[in-house]
Amino acid sequence: MTRQDFLLKWLFYALALLPVWWLDQYVLNRFLVLGVSPRLLPVAAVTVAVLEGAVGGAGFGLGVGVLCDAVYYGAWGGMTLGLCLIGWAAGAAAQYVLRRNFGGCLLCSAAGLALLALCQVVAGLFTGLADLYALLRVAVPELLWSLCALCLLYPWFAWVRRRIVKVLRL
Amino acid sequence: MKDFFRSNGPIILVIALLLATLTAVGSYALQGVPSPLGNVLGVVTTPVRDGISALAGWVEGVYNYSFRYDELQAENDRLKAEIAELEAAAREGEADSKENERLRELLELRPKNRSFDLESATVTARSSTNWSSTLTLSKGSDQGVAAGDCVVDSAWNLVGIIDTVGTNWSTMLTVVDANLEMGAFLSRTESIAILEGDFALMAEGKLKLTYLPENTELITGDLVLTSSMGGNYPSDLVVGSIESIHTDASGISRYAVIAPAADLDSLVQVFIIKDFDIVE
Repeated sequence: MTRQDFLLKWLFYALALLPVWWLDQYVLNRFLVLGVSPRLLPVAAVTVAVLEGAVGGAGFGLGVGVLCDAVYYGAWGGMTLGLCLIGWAAGAAAQYVLRRNFGGCLLCSAAGLALLALCQVVAGLFTGLADLYALLRVAVPELLWSLCALCLLYPWFAWVRRRIVKVLRL
Repeated sequence: MKDFFRSNGPIILVIALLLATLTAVGSYALQGVPSPLGNVLGVVTTPVRDGISALAGWVEGVYNYSFRYDELQAENDRLKAEIAELEAAAREGEADSKENERLRELLELRPKNRSFDLESATVTARSSTNWSSTLTLSKGSDQGVAAGDCVVDSAWNLVGIIDTVGTNWSTMLTVVDANLEMGAFLSRTESIAILEGDFALMAEGKLKLTYLPENTELITGDLVLTSSMGGNYPSDLVVGSIESIHTDASGISRYAVIAPAADLDSLVQVFIIKDFDIVE
């Protein structure tokens, strides 16, 4: 793959992320289900990681993490490192252990979201934000609702990947 | 796995670690100020936020007109009756104020004064995470907005406090956010307490009133106002009313659950109090 192809490929993925980000940031938080809105950006990072492998997943996770830390209220840098590691792990799992399909992506997303939720709950307990029950009442529906969003995100990014392969003749 | 370490994998991880550290230090050092990237994204996405906000408002208007016409008509009639009652009360109040003014002059007291420097703003986005309750407003440091400014709705109900200020946008913690804490004044009993956001109540759109005065009988519906304690926030802004009173898990102290007066879910227009001068 030439350098230009490489740049174009990730530009396509970045453009494909734009509508996902807008949905996440400005639309879905107006329509809460079980009192929560889904987290689309981490799911998007895992989906691209499953499609592109460990290195691509880590790089895209890094980019999405920086975006999350810039736009999410109260972010402190954890998402940058967290999504980079999750992207790397999801990409490696899809490359060597799981299949690169919806099922593999679902498993990786569930694991990634569970890890993020665990961090959030532990941080909430550590800072005395609330008791475990109150924290789980947000974390669990958020995880499930975000996994439901995978039904939209996986076909979207899989289509983008097919277009990239076709356009760039990879 | 060898591929990862042979290609640029380790470099990506090191970059991620460095950026995360930089962001952590930046967010700790720059309280009330967004990160440079956050500010740029906030400025660049302003037209998108405004567009989505306007579209959502239009859709809501069409929906209300189509499906809630009768309900809105009934509300309009009720509000007209309420206005008539309030006008009568205001006429009585006018005579009382004049008398009060005369008495203050006799006692050589400074005349009562409540002046506010307000900035009108539009709510352009809602909480981006489920772990906080925030609203993004259309005004920022260019318009003189600063962190800690109070935000009220058109009925002078407290909506929240400005937390982060970008160039032409700002983020506000709503009154139900778990991080909010401020002094409160109970108008009926003329006593003081503390308003606290509570994570468990945040999802229900409510907040907590703690350090309740002992030997004071509070009742459901008691009005809770901001107090002038500390001088950071203007006094007498309506926060909400007591919905229920409970004893905490230890069984020693009591707390009250407050229903905010401002309708946080359907806010469109708010007013930021940039400066105020209150003489009681």
